[in-house]
Amino acid sequence: MPEIPLIQGGMAVGVSLDNLASAVANEGGIGIIGTAGIGMVMGGKGKNFRQENIEGLKKVIRSAREKTKGILGVNIMVALTNYEDMVVTAIKEKIDVIISGAGLPLDLPSYLSEDSRTKLIPIVSSLRTAQLIFKRWFKRHGYIPDAFVVEGPKAGGHLGYKPEQLTEPEFSLERTIPQVREFTEKIKKEYGKEVPVIAAGGICDSKDVKRVFSLGASGVQVGTPFIATKECDADIKFKKTIVNAKKEDIIIIKSPVGLPGRAVRNKFLEDVERGVKKPFKCMYHCIKTCNFREAPYCIAEALLNASKGDFENGFAFIGAEGYKVNSISSVKEVIKKLFEDMQ
Amino acid sequence: MEEKVINIIAEQLGLDPAEVKRDSNFTEDLGADSLDLVDLIMKLEDEFDVKIEDEVASQLKTVGDAIEFIKKLTSEG
Ligand SMILES: Cc1cc2nc3c(=O)[nH]c(=O)nc-3n(C[C@H](O)[C@H](O)[C@H](O)COP(=O)(O)O)c2cc1C
Repeated sequence: MPEIPLIQGGMAVGVSLDNLASAVANEGGIGIIGTAGIGMVMGGKGKNFRQENIEGLKKVIRSAREKTKGILGVNIMVALTNYEDMVVTAIKEKIDVIISGAGLPLDLPSYLSEDSRTKLIPIVSSLRTAQLIFKRWFKRHGYIPDAFVVEGPKAGGHLGYKPEQLTEPEFSLERTIPQVREFTEKIKKEYGKEVPVIAAGGICDSKDVKRVFSLGASGVQVGTPFIATKECDADIKFKKTIVNAKKEDIIIIKSPVGLPGRAVRNKFLEDVERGVKKPFKCMYHCIKTCNFREAPYCIAEALLNASKGDFENGFAFIGAEGYKVNSISSVKEVIKKLFEDMQ
Repeated sequence: MEEKVINIIAEQLGLDPAEVKRDSNFTEDLGADSLDLVDLIMKLEDEFDVKIEDEVASQLKTVGDAIEFIKKLTSEG
Protein backbone atom coordinates (compact mmCIF):
# COMPACT_ATOMS: atom_id res chain seq x y z
CA MET A 1 0.00 0.00 0.00
CA PRO A 2 1.29 3.47 -0.86
CA GLU A 3 1.58 6.15 1.86
CA ILE A 4 -0.80 8.36 -0.07
CA PRO A 5 -3.72 6.95 -2.07
CA LEU A 6 -2.39 8.25 -5.37
CA ILE A 7 -1.41 6.73 -8.70
CA GLN A 8 0.28 8.97 -11.23
CA GLY A 9 -1.33 7.92 -14.53
CA GLY A 10 1.00 6.31 -17.06
CA MET A 11 1.56 8.69 -19.98
CA ALA A 12 2.99 7.63 -23.28
CA VAL A 13 4.75 8.44 -25.50
CA GLY A 14 7.73 9.64 -23.46
CA VAL A 15 5.80 11.73 -20.90
CA SER A 16 6.00 9.54 -17.79
CA LEU A 17 9.31 7.72 -17.67
CA ASP A 18 11.82 7.07 -14.89
CA ASN A 19 12.06 10.69 -13.72
CA LEU A 20 8.39 11.44 -13.15
CA ALA A 21 7.53 7.96 -11.90
CA SER A 22 10.35 7.87 -9.35
CA ALA A 23 9.60 11.40 -8.14
CA VAL A 24 5.99 10.42 -7.42
CA ALA A 25 7.10 7.18 -5.76
CA ASN A 26 9.53 9.16 -3.57
CA GLU A 27 6.64 11.29 -2.33
CA GLY A 28 4.72 8.18 -1.28
CA GLY A 29 2.43 7.74 -4.30
CA ILE A 30 2.63 5.09 -7.01
CA GLY A 31 4.71 6.23 -10.02
CA ILE A 32 3.78 4.77 -13.38
CA ILE A 33 5.93 4.48 -16.49
CA GLY A 34 4.12 4.72 -19.85
CA THR A 35 5.31 1.83 -22.04
CA ALA A 36 3.83 2.60 -25.47
CA GLY A 37 6.62 3.54 -27.88
CA ILE A 38 9.29 3.15 -25.20
CA GLY A 39 11.72 1.64 -27.71
CA MET A 40 11.62 4.78 -29.87
CA VAL A 41 11.76 7.00 -26.82
CA MET A 42 15.02 5.31 -25.84
CA GLY A 43 16.52 5.92 -29.26
CA GLY A 44 15.36 2.85 -31.19
CA LYS A 45 14.83 3.34 -34.91
CA GLY A 46 12.14 0.73 -35.36
CA LYS A 47 14.44 -1.69 -37.19
CA ASN A 48 14.05 -4.30 -34.51
CA PHE A 49 10.82 -3.10 -32.99
CA ARG A 50 10.28 -5.88 -30.46
CA GLN A 51 13.80 -6.03 -29.10
CA GLU A 52 14.14 -2.24 -28.92
CA ASN A 53 11.00 -1.99 -26.85
CA ILE A 54 12.01 -4.76 -24.48
CA GLU A 55 15.42 -3.16 -23.96
CA GLY A 56 13.91 0.30 -23.62
CA LEU A 57 11.48 -0.83 -20.95
CA LYS A 58 14.18 -2.66 -19.01
CA LYS A 59 16.40 0.41 -19.02
CA VAL A 60 13.66 2.76 -17.87
CA ILE A 61 12.50 0.45 -15.07
CA ARG A 62 16.05 -0.04 -13.81
CA SER A 63 16.82 3.65 -13.95
CA ALA A 64 13.61 4.46 -12.04
CA ARG A 65 14.49 1.84 -9.45
CA GLU A 66 17.85 3.50 -8.85
CA LYS A 67 16.07 6.73 -8.00
CA THR A 68 13.49 5.42 -5.55
CA LYS A 69 12.62 2.77 -3.02
CA GLY A 70 8.93 3.61 -3.47
CA ILE A 71 6.24 1.84 -5.45
CA LEU A 72 6.71 1.74 -9.23
CA GLY A 73 4.41 0.49 -11.94
CA VAL A 74 3.98 0.38 -15.70
CA ASN A 75 1.00 1.20 -17.88
CA ILE A 76 0.57 -1.24 -20.75
CA MET A 77 -2.20 -0.72 -23.28
CA VAL A 78 -3.93 -3.92 -24.37
CA ALA A 79 -4.03 -2.58 -27.92
CA LEU A 80 -0.22 -2.71 -28.25
CA THR A 81 0.96 -5.36 -30.68
CA ASN A 82 3.86 -6.03 -28.29
CA TYR A 83 1.57 -6.22 -25.25
CA GLU A 84 2.86 -9.62 -24.22
CA ASP A 85 6.53 -8.55 -24.51
CA MET A 86 5.89 -5.55 -22.29
CA VAL A 87 3.99 -7.56 -19.66
CA VAL A 88 6.57 -10.34 -19.53
CA THR A 89 9.49 -7.88 -19.34
CA ALA A 90 7.86 -5.83 -16.58
CA ILE A 91 7.15 -8.95 -14.50
CA LYS A 92 10.71 -10.19 -15.03
CA GLU A 93 11.99 -6.82 -13.82
CA LYS A 94 9.84 -7.32 -10.71
CA ILE A 95 7.74 -4.25 -11.26
CA ASP A 96 5.35 -3.61 -8.36
CA VAL A 97 2.22 -2.89 -10.42
CA ILE A 98 0.90 -3.33 -13.96
CA ILE A 99 -1.99 -1.10 -14.96
CA SER A 100 -3.68 -2.07 -18.18
CA GLY A 101 -6.48 -0.59 -20.26
CA ALA A 102 -7.27 0.57 -23.81
CA GLY A 103 -8.90 -2.76 -24.49
CA LEU A 104 -9.86 -5.63 -22.20
CA PRO A 105 -6.88 -7.16 -20.36
CA LEU A 106 -8.67 -10.52 -20.29
CA ASP A 107 -5.66 -12.73 -19.70
CA LEU A 108 -3.22 -10.48 -17.86
CA PRO A 109 -2.97 -12.85 -14.83
CA SER A 110 -1.78 -15.69 -17.08
CA TYR A 111 1.68 -14.06 -17.25
CA LEU A 112 2.31 -14.21 -13.52
CA SER A 113 4.47 -16.98 -12.13
CA GLU A 114 4.32 -18.56 -8.68
CA ASP A 115 6.82 -16.17 -7.18
CA SER A 116 5.85 -12.93 -8.90
CA ARG A 117 4.55 -10.24 -6.59
CA THR A 118 3.41 -7.87 -9.31
CA LYS A 119 -0.06 -6.46 -8.64
CA LEU A 120 -2.52 -6.27 -11.53
CA ILE A 121 -4.93 -3.39 -11.99
CA PRO A 122 -7.31 -3.13 -14.94
CA ILE A 123 -8.59 0.23 -16.16
CA VAL A 124 -12.36 0.14 -16.66
CA SER A 125 -14.88 2.65 -17.93
CA SER A 126 -18.07 1.03 -16.62
CA LEU A 127 -19.46 -1.43 -14.09
CA ARG A 128 -19.99 -3.86 -16.93
CA THR A 129 -16.32 -3.91 -17.87
CA ALA A 130 -15.33 -4.35 -14.23
CA GLN A 131 -17.70 -7.29 -13.81
CA LEU A 132 -16.58 -8.95 -17.01
CA ILE A 133 -12.87 -8.69 -16.19
CA PHE A 134 -13.49 -9.95 -12.67
CA LYS A 135 -15.46 -12.91 -13.95
CA ARG A 136 -12.88 -13.87 -16.55
CA TRP A 137 -9.88 -13.42 -14.23
CA PHE A 138 -11.49 -15.39 -11.47
CA LYS A 139 -12.80 -18.16 -13.65
CA ARG A 140 -9.87 -18.63 -16.00
CA HIS A 141 -6.99 -17.60 -13.81
CA GLY A 142 -8.20 -17.83 -10.21
CA TYR A 143 -7.14 -14.20 -9.74
CA ILE A 144 -8.99 -11.25 -8.28
CA PRO A 145 -7.92 -7.78 -9.52
CA ASP A 146 -5.83 -5.86 -6.98
CA ALA A 147 -7.81 -2.69 -7.66
CA PHE A 148 -9.93 -1.13 -10.40
CA VAL A 149 -8.99 2.17 -11.98
CA VAL A 150 -12.26 3.71 -13.11
CA GLU A 151 -11.34 6.17 -15.84
CA GLY A 152 -14.15 8.61 -16.52
CA PRO A 153 -14.92 10.70 -19.61
CA LYS A 154 -12.79 13.65 -18.44
CA ALA A 155 -9.46 11.82 -18.73
CA GLY A 156 -6.66 12.71 -21.11
CA GLY A 157 -5.31 10.56 -23.92
CA HIS A 158 -7.35 7.81 -25.54
CA LEU A 159 -10.81 7.43 -24.08
CA GLY A 160 -12.86 4.29 -23.48
CA TYR A 161 -16.13 5.89 -24.56
CA LYS A 162 -17.87 6.76 -27.78
CA PRO A 163 -17.64 10.51 -28.53
CA GLU A 164 -21.37 11.01 -27.88
CA GLN A 165 -21.10 9.32 -24.48
CA LEU A 166 -18.50 11.78 -23.18
CA THR A 167 -21.02 14.34 -22.01
CA GLU A 168 -23.81 11.99 -20.93
CA PRO A 169 -24.34 11.86 -17.15
CA GLU A 170 -24.83 8.11 -17.37
CA PHE A 171 -21.12 7.66 -18.04
CA SER A 172 -19.81 10.18 -15.49
CA LEU A 173 -17.68 9.17 -12.51
CA GLU A 174 -20.59 10.29 -10.33
CA ARG A 175 -22.55 7.40 -11.74
CA THR A 176 -19.84 4.78 -12.25
CA ILE A 177 -17.81 5.03 -9.03
CA PRO A 178 -20.68 4.11 -6.68
CA GLN A 179 -21.64 1.20 -8.93
CA VAL A 180 -18.13 -0.23 -9.07
CA ARG A 181 -17.74 0.32 -5.32
CA GLU A 182 -20.91 -1.63 -4.66
CA PHE A 183 -19.49 -4.42 -6.81
CA THR A 184 -16.15 -4.48 -4.94
CA GLU A 185 -18.06 -4.61 -1.64
CA LYS A 186 -19.70 -7.78 -2.92
CA ILE A 187 -16.30 -9.20 -3.88
CA LYS A 188 -15.05 -8.43 -0.39
CA LYS A 189 -18.00 -10.13 1.25
CA GLU A 190 -17.83 -13.18 -0.93
CA TYR A 191 -14.09 -13.67 -1.37
CA GLY A 192 -12.57 -11.67 1.48
CA LYS A 193 -10.37 -9.52 -0.77
CA GLU A 194 -10.32 -5.75 -0.54
CA VAL A 195 -10.35 -4.30 -4.08
CA PRO A 196 -9.86 -0.52 -3.96
CA VAL A 197 -11.66 1.66 -6.47
CA ILE A 198 -9.39 4.33 -7.96
CA ALA A 199 -11.01 7.27 -9.71
CA ALA A 200 -9.35 8.90 -12.74
CA GLY A 201 -10.08 11.77 -15.08
CA GLY A 202 -10.24 15.47 -14.29
CA ILE A 203 -8.96 15.29 -10.71
CA CYS A 204 -6.82 18.38 -9.96
CA ASP A 205 -7.22 19.45 -6.34
CA SER A 206 -8.33 18.29 -2.91
CA LYS A 207 -11.93 19.29 -3.59
CA ASP A 208 -11.97 16.80 -6.47
CA VAL A 209 -10.32 14.14 -4.35
CA LYS A 210 -12.86 14.59 -1.56
CA ARG A 211 -15.70 14.43 -4.05
CA VAL A 212 -14.63 11.11 -5.58
CA PHE A 213 -13.87 9.69 -2.13
CA SER A 214 -17.39 10.55 -1.03
CA LEU A 215 -18.65 8.66 -4.08
CA GLY A 216 -16.86 5.52 -2.94
CA ALA A 217 -13.34 5.75 -4.38
CA SER A 218 -10.44 5.14 -2.03
CA GLY A 219 -7.69 6.37 -4.35
CA VAL A 220 -7.15 8.62 -7.36
CA GLN A 221 -5.18 8.31 -10.58
CA VAL A 222 -3.98 11.69 -11.83
CA GLY A 223 -2.34 12.44 -15.17
CA THR A 224 -2.38 15.93 -16.66
CA PRO A 225 -1.36 17.93 -13.54
CA PHE A 226 1.87 15.90 -13.35
CA ILE A 227 2.88 16.97 -16.86
CA ALA A 228 3.41 20.51 -15.61
CA THR A 229 6.19 19.57 -13.20
CA LYS A 230 9.93 19.97 -13.45
CA GLU A 231 10.25 16.20 -12.96
CA CYS A 232 8.07 15.24 -15.94
CA ASP A 233 10.09 13.54 -18.69
CA ALA A 234 8.65 15.46 -21.65
CA ASP A 235 10.26 18.50 -23.28
CA ILE A 236 9.61 21.93 -21.76
CA LYS A 237 7.54 22.86 -24.85
CA PHE A 238 5.21 19.98 -24.09
CA LYS A 239 4.76 21.21 -20.52
CA LYS A 240 4.14 24.76 -21.74
CA THR A 241 1.55 23.51 -24.19
CA ILE A 242 -0.40 22.08 -21.25
CA VAL A 243 0.08 25.20 -19.12
CA ASN A 244 -1.02 27.52 -21.95
CA ALA A 245 -4.03 25.46 -23.03
CA LYS A 246 -7.33 27.28 -22.50
CA LYS A 247 -10.66 25.54 -22.16
CA GLU A 248 -11.53 26.13 -25.81
CA ASP A 249 -8.21 24.64 -26.95
CA ILE A 250 -9.08 21.21 -25.54
CA ILE A 251 -10.73 19.12 -28.22
CA ILE A 252 -11.82 15.57 -28.95
CA ILE A 253 -10.04 13.98 -31.89
CA LYS A 254 -10.61 10.75 -33.77
CA SER A 255 -7.38 8.85 -33.26
CA PRO A 256 -6.09 6.52 -35.98
CA VAL A 257 -6.26 3.71 -33.43
CA GLY A 258 -10.04 3.84 -33.55
CA LEU A 259 -10.73 5.52 -30.21
CA PRO A 260 -11.57 9.12 -29.44
CA GLY A 261 -8.80 11.06 -27.76
CA ARG A 262 -8.56 14.38 -25.93
CA ALA A 263 -5.86 16.74 -27.09
CA VAL A 264 -4.68 20.35 -27.29
CA ARG A 265 -5.70 21.91 -30.60
CA ASN A 266 -2.82 23.05 -32.83
CA LYS A 267 -1.96 23.48 -36.48
CA PHE A 268 -1.02 19.83 -36.88
CA LEU A 269 -4.45 18.66 -35.72
CA GLU A 270 -6.23 21.38 -37.69
CA ASP A 271 -4.42 20.24 -40.85
CA VAL A 272 -5.50 16.66 -40.21
CA GLU A 273 -9.07 17.81 -39.58
CA ARG A 274 -9.02 19.59 -42.95
CA GLY A 275 -7.97 16.36 -44.62
CA VAL A 276 -4.24 17.02 -45.01
CA LYS A 277 -2.26 13.78 -45.00
CA LYS A 278 1.03 13.53 -43.16
CA PRO A 279 2.85 10.84 -45.10
CA PHE A 280 4.59 8.15 -43.08
CA LYS A 281 5.89 4.67 -43.46
CA CYS A 282 4.56 2.26 -40.87
CA MET A 283 7.54 0.15 -39.95
CA TYR A 284 6.14 -1.87 -37.11
CA HIS A 285 2.33 -1.64 -36.79
CA CYS A 286 2.48 -0.88 -33.05
CA ILE A 287 -1.24 -0.74 -32.23
CA LYS A 288 -3.48 -3.69 -33.08
CA THR A 289 -6.46 -1.53 -33.97
CA CYS A 290 -4.51 1.08 -35.98
CA ASN A 291 -5.71 1.34 -39.52
CA PHE A 292 -2.21 2.29 -40.68
CA ARG A 293 -2.90 2.03 -44.40
CA GLU A 294 -5.54 4.73 -44.27
CA ALA A 295 -4.47 6.74 -41.22
CA PRO A 296 -3.72 10.37 -42.12
CA TYR A 297 -0.66 10.34 -39.84
CA CYS A 298 1.26 8.04 -37.51
CA ILE A 299 0.11 8.65 -33.97
CA ALA A 300 3.15 7.06 -32.32
CA GLU A 301 5.41 9.35 -34.31
CA ALA A 302 3.26 12.43 -33.65
CA LEU A 303 3.23 11.81 -29.90
CA LEU A 304 6.95 11.09 -29.85
CA ASN A 305 7.67 14.32 -31.75
CA ALA A 306 5.55 16.31 -29.30
CA SER A 307 7.27 14.77 -26.28
CA LYS A 308 10.53 16.05 -27.75
CA GLY A 309 9.08 19.51 -28.29
CA ASP A 310 8.33 19.29 -32.02
CA PHE A 311 4.74 20.54 -32.32
CA GLU A 312 4.99 21.18 -36.06
CA ASN A 313 4.82 17.43 -36.41
CA GLY A 314 2.96 16.41 -33.32
CA PHE A 315 0.41 17.25 -30.64
CA ALA A 316 -0.21 16.78 -26.92
CA PHE A 317 -2.88 14.76 -25.16
CA ILE A 318 -4.52 16.47 -22.18
CA GLY A 319 -7.32 15.91 -19.64
CA ALA A 320 -10.60 17.87 -19.81
CA GLU A 321 -9.64 19.97 -16.78
CA GLY A 322 -6.14 20.62 -18.10
CA TYR A 323 -6.92 24.32 -18.62
CA LYS A 324 -6.79 24.67 -14.83
CA VAL A 325 -3.08 23.88 -14.84
CA ASN A 326 -1.45 27.29 -15.09
CA SER A 327 2.17 26.95 -14.10
CA ILE A 328 5.01 24.51 -14.01
CA SER A 329 5.65 23.39 -10.45
CA SER A 330 6.95 20.20 -8.87
CA VAL A 331 5.60 16.76 -8.05
CA LYS A 332 5.59 17.77 -4.39
CA GLU A 333 3.44 20.82 -5.14
CA VAL A 334 0.97 18.87 -7.27
CA ILE A 335 0.55 16.27 -4.53
CA LYS A 336 0.16 18.95 -1.89
CA LYS A 337 -2.64 20.54 -3.86
CA LEU A 338 -4.38 17.18 -4.23
CA PHE A 339 -4.26 16.22 -0.58
CA GLU A 340 -4.10 19.48 1.41
CA ASP A 341 -6.40 19.69 4.40
CA MET A 342 -7.24 15.99 4.29
CA GLN A 343 -6.69 13.70 7.23
CA MET B 1 -29.14 -28.19 -27.44
CA GLU B 2 -29.74 -25.76 -30.27
CA GLU B 3 -32.62 -24.24 -28.36
CA LYS B 4 -30.50 -23.87 -25.24
CA VAL B 5 -27.79 -22.00 -27.15
CA ILE B 6 -30.37 -19.68 -28.66
CA ASN B 7 -31.93 -19.01 -25.28
CA ILE B 8 -28.56 -18.15 -23.75
CA ILE B 9 -27.76 -15.80 -26.62
CA ALA B 10 -31.16 -14.14 -26.41
CA GLU B 11 -30.84 -13.67 -22.66
CA GLN B 12 -27.33 -12.22 -22.91
CA LEU B 13 -28.34 -9.72 -25.57
CA GLY B 14 -31.74 -8.93 -24.12
CA LEU B 15 -33.63 -10.23 -27.15
CA ASP B 16 -36.67 -12.40 -27.77
CA PRO B 17 -35.46 -15.94 -28.67
CA ALA B 18 -37.61 -15.71 -31.80
CA GLU B 19 -35.37 -12.92 -33.09
CA VAL B 20 -32.28 -15.10 -32.84
CA LYS B 21 -31.89 -17.04 -36.08
CA ARG B 22 -29.22 -19.49 -37.13
CA ASP B 23 -27.85 -17.10 -39.73
CA SER B 24 -27.95 -14.04 -37.45
CA ASN B 25 -24.58 -12.34 -37.21
CA PHE B 26 -23.79 -11.48 -33.57
CA THR B 27 -22.56 -7.95 -34.14
CA GLU B 28 -24.35 -6.94 -37.31
CA ASP B 29 -27.79 -8.47 -36.75
CA LEU B 30 -28.01 -8.87 -33.00
CA GLY B 31 -26.15 -5.72 -31.92
CA ALA B 32 -23.62 -7.47 -29.69
CA ASP B 33 -20.55 -5.45 -28.63
CA SER B 34 -17.14 -6.82 -27.67
CA LEU B 35 -18.13 -7.14 -24.01
CA ASP B 36 -21.27 -9.09 -24.88
CA LEU B 37 -19.23 -11.51 -26.94
CA VAL B 38 -16.70 -12.21 -24.19
CA ASP B 39 -19.49 -12.68 -21.68
CA LEU B 40 -21.48 -14.86 -24.02
CA ILE B 41 -18.53 -17.17 -24.61
CA MET B 42 -18.03 -17.55 -20.86
CA LYS B 43 -21.73 -18.38 -20.39
CA LEU B 44 -21.63 -21.01 -23.13
CA GLU B 45 -18.49 -22.48 -21.57
CA ASP B 46 -20.23 -22.76 -18.21
CA GLU B 47 -23.45 -24.13 -19.59
CA PHE B 48 -21.92 -26.83 -21.78
CA ASP B 49 -18.81 -27.41 -19.70
CA VAL B 50 -16.46 -26.76 -22.63
CA LYS B 51 -13.48 -24.49 -23.21
CA ILE B 52 -13.59 -22.09 -26.15
CA GLU B 53 -10.21 -20.59 -26.99
CA ASP B 54 -10.07 -16.91 -27.99
CA GLU B 55 -8.79 -17.71 -31.48
CA VAL B 56 -11.80 -19.93 -32.02
CA ALA B 57 -14.19 -17.52 -30.35
CA SER B 58 -13.24 -14.75 -32.76
CA GLN B 59 -14.19 -17.01 -35.68
CA LEU B 60 -17.73 -17.56 -34.44
CA LYS B 61 -19.60 -14.90 -36.38
CA THR B 62 -23.14 -16.25 -36.46
CA VAL B 63 -25.47 -18.11 -34.14
CA GLY B 64 -25.14 -21.13 -36.42
CA ASP B 65 -21.33 -21.05 -36.09
CA ALA B 66 -21.68 -21.21 -32.32
CA ILE B 67 -24.21 -24.05 -32.43
CA GLU B 68 -22.07 -26.14 -34.77
CA PHE B 69 -18.94 -25.54 -32.76
CA ILE B 70 -20.55 -26.54 -29.48
CA LYS B 71 -22.08 -29.60 -31.12
CA LYS B 72 -18.65 -30.64 -32.25
CA LEU B 73 -17.10 -30.08 -28.84
CA THR B 74 -19.79 -31.90 -26.89
CA SER B 75 -19.96 -34.88 -29.23
CA GLU B 76 -16.17 -35.31 -29.05
CA GLY B 77 -16.36 -34.96 -25.27
C1 LIG C 1 -0.26 12.94 -22.38
C2 LIG C 1 -1.06 11.80 -21.87
C3 LIG C 1 -0.69 10.50 -22.20
C4 LIG C 1 -1.40 9.40 -21.72
N1 LIG C 1 -0.99 8.14 -22.03
C5 LIG C 1 -1.67 7.05 -21.55
C6 LIG C 1 -1.23 5.72 -21.84
O1 LIG C 1 -0.23 5.50 -22.51
N2 LIG C 1 -1.95 4.69 -21.35
C7 LIG C 1 -3.08 4.89 -20.57
O2 LIG C 1 -3.71 3.91 -20.15
N3 LIG C 1 -3.49 6.14 -20.25
C8 LIG C 1 -2.81 7.22 -20.72
N4 LIG C 1 -3.24 8.50 -20.37
C9 LIG C 1 -4.31 8.65 -19.36
C10 LIG C 1 -3.70 8.94 -17.97
O3 LIG C 1 -2.95 7.86 -17.50
C11 LIG C 1 -4.75 9.28 -16.90
O4 LIG C 1 -5.53 8.17 -16.54
C12 LIG C 1 -5.72 10.37 -17.30
O5 LIG C 1 -5.07 11.35 -18.04
C13 LIG C 1 -6.37 10.92 -16.05
O6 LIG C 1 -7.02 12.13 -16.31
P1 LIG C 1 -6.34 13.56 -15.98
O7 LIG C 1 -5.32 13.77 -17.00
O8 LIG C 1 -7.49 14.49 -16.07
O9 LIG C 1 -5.75 13.46 -14.58
C14 LIG C 1 -2.54 9.61 -20.88
C15 LIG C 1 -2.93 10.93 -20.58
C16 LIG C 1 -2.21 12.01 -21.04
C17 LIG C 1 -2.66 13.40 -20.67
